[in-house]
Amino acid sequence: MELLQYTIRKLLAGIPLILGVTFVSFLLMVYFGPDQTYQLIGKNPTPEQIAEVRAQLGYDKPFVVRYADYLRELGTLDFGFSDSTGEKVSVLLGRTIPVSLALITPGFILGNLVALMLALIAAHHRSGWVDKMIMGLSVVGMSISFLIVVIAFQIVFSSSYGLGLFPVRGWNVHSPGDYFAYVAVPTMATVFVALGYNTRFYRSVIVEELTRDHVRTARAFGVPPARLLYRNVLKNCMIPIITRIVFSIPLIVISGALIIETYFGIPGVGKVTFEAITSGDQPVLKAVVGLTALLFVLAQLVTDILYRAVDPRVSLK
Amino acid sequence: MSGEPLLRVTDLVVEFSTEQGVVRAVDRVSFEVRPNETLGIVGESGCGKTVTGLAIMGLIPSPPGRIAAGSITFQGRELAGLPESEMRAIRGRDIAMVFQEPMTALNPVFTVGNQMIDVLRRYRGLTRRQARPAAIELLAKVGIPAADQRIDEYPHQLSGGMRQRVVIAMALSCDPKLIVADEPTTALDVTTQAQVLEQIVKLQQEFQMAMILVTHDLGVVAETCHRAIVMYCGRIAEKAEIEPLFAHPRHPYTVGLLGSIPRVGEGEKQDLAVIPGIVPDLLHLPPGCRFADRCSSRQARCDEALPELDGGEDSRSRVACYFPY
Repeated sequence: MELLQYTIRKLLAGIPLILGVTFVSFLLMVYFGPDQTYQLIGKNPTPEQIAEVRAQLGYDKPFVVRYADYLRELGTLDFGFSDSTGEKVSVLLGRTIPVSLALITPGFILGNLVALMLALIAAHHRSGWVDKMIMGLSVVGMSISFLIVVIAFQIVFSSSYGLGLFPVRGWNVHSPGDYFAYVAVPTMATVFVALGYNTRFYRSVIVEELTRDHVRTARAFGVPPARLLYRNVLKNCMIPIITRIVFSIPLIVISGALIIETYFGIPGVGKVTFEAITSGDQPVLKAVVGLTALLFVLAQLVTDILYRAVDPRVSLK
Repeated sequence: MSGEPLLRVTDLVVEFSTEQGVVRAVDRVSFEVRPNETLGIVGESGCGKTVTGLAIMGLIPSPPGRIAAGSITFQGRELAGLPESEMRAIRGRDIAMVFQEPMTALNPVFTVGNQMIDVLRRYRGLTRRQARPAAIELLAKVGIPAADQRIDEYPHQLSGGMRQRVVIAMALSCDPKLIVADEPTTALDVTTQAQVLEQIVKLQQEFQMAMILVTHDLGVVAETCHRAIVMYCGRIAEKAEIEPLFAHPRHPYTVGLLGSIPRVGEGEKQDLAVIPGIVPDLLHLPPGCRFADRCSSRQARCDEALPELDGGEDSRSRVACYFPY
């Protein structure tokens, strides 16, 4: 009951955020974004033809009306049809979002799990050579550009110059085997890049927690060091770790997907968003922006509820 | 006082490396604790009393700290330099520690019972189901009312006094022979202090334990200890049995400490006596007596060399001063 009330209150509190984000994005889209008019029209158009196309696209209506339309679309989750392809936006997203999720999820989970394990190992051996080695490699991982990683991995794992194990590009998935083949290299690249940042962050959180008094108490009662880490300390560290993980989800779904999908030629929501931005396909952009804001509000809600689960001192009030 | 000592600390030196240089927090400290005896370690903040306690537990944070010299023998076994894995078997089981900060000494995200059961399972080899009633019994023993309900609460739901009792119950759970209590009542309010202290003394007798009570409160020492050492700047200033220590304090520092306890209702209202000056910086210690700067009996000889403890092992009162009272 407490949880339900809290959820409703949080969602209501998220409305101003969604309004703000959509308003600013829509303002930029309308006044500074690319215009579809001249892409849809032939050469040497008459003013009448231009006016006709603009009326079709809805560009002739006043801003306030168009924003109100946007909010109504957001409320009903019906964003109409793409200006570029004429496909229904909901169908387009329904087709591409699952592809992106399937593409990103393994890398996201592995990137965090492996980083957490490395961070625990580094914290356990803090200021020893194991720690220094892991931290050093993290910096190396952080310093290499994602593009270089993608290209290098494609050459090493996918091309005929390298191992030639996986397809270089595309997404022709009909079986779990296909899925593995297409997702393997993008996953390795994502993990490689995420690992450095995540490991450093998690290690610092864990090492900080290790200086606390309750850790000394645990040691005074003979808790072995490994057990101390994974049982006593890990749960204490969960609040910053959860925050980081959950809040990175909306970012990864949009921007992370965008880069990977472009380089691996995968028809996911990132690629769709990229094309919509360059061509000024407003119905698609409106949908993506609105859904991202919604995702942030949900992420906030989920983190707060998870806080309560790991720390009894947090109250949902 | 007779009997073989349970714990013998000989010429213990603990050093910390800092950016400014090496700090000697404990400098050639020797004492012993006999079975069932309570030894007080008194001194102001930074005098090395807590570090001495931590050194016995093998809990000196390292780096930057280390036991640079000296020996700590417990039941005839050398603890200084013992590998961490062997030290761990002694900690909690033979020597338990009660910490100064009841607010932070327990892990906030686990219930009291969870933390106690963990200790009981490790030391007594109980199953989770057996450990629970044992934990409730211990909590009741340290004076926690409704222990069967309190056991499922989190530390933040308990008061400071209750939390300290929980830590004491944890310390008792493995039936240790020695308890190192580092300012166990300092963070508590006065009425709670008295209750907790009384409880500790009662349990100490019941469980037949020796105790090292680290405190800056001379009142606590007078009430609970058999013998006490007074520390100043990492050195022992005076080491004595309780009656002579309070009846005839000999080191000017001890005299100063006793003089700075406020007394109520003794004649005219007067200003509280204080020891003038401040504690010297441990990085820049004078070659002579470390208390000389603040001492009223100071003479030329005090600045030449460090005074050592006088008398033999058996004397009831020993002092490190050239001109004791």
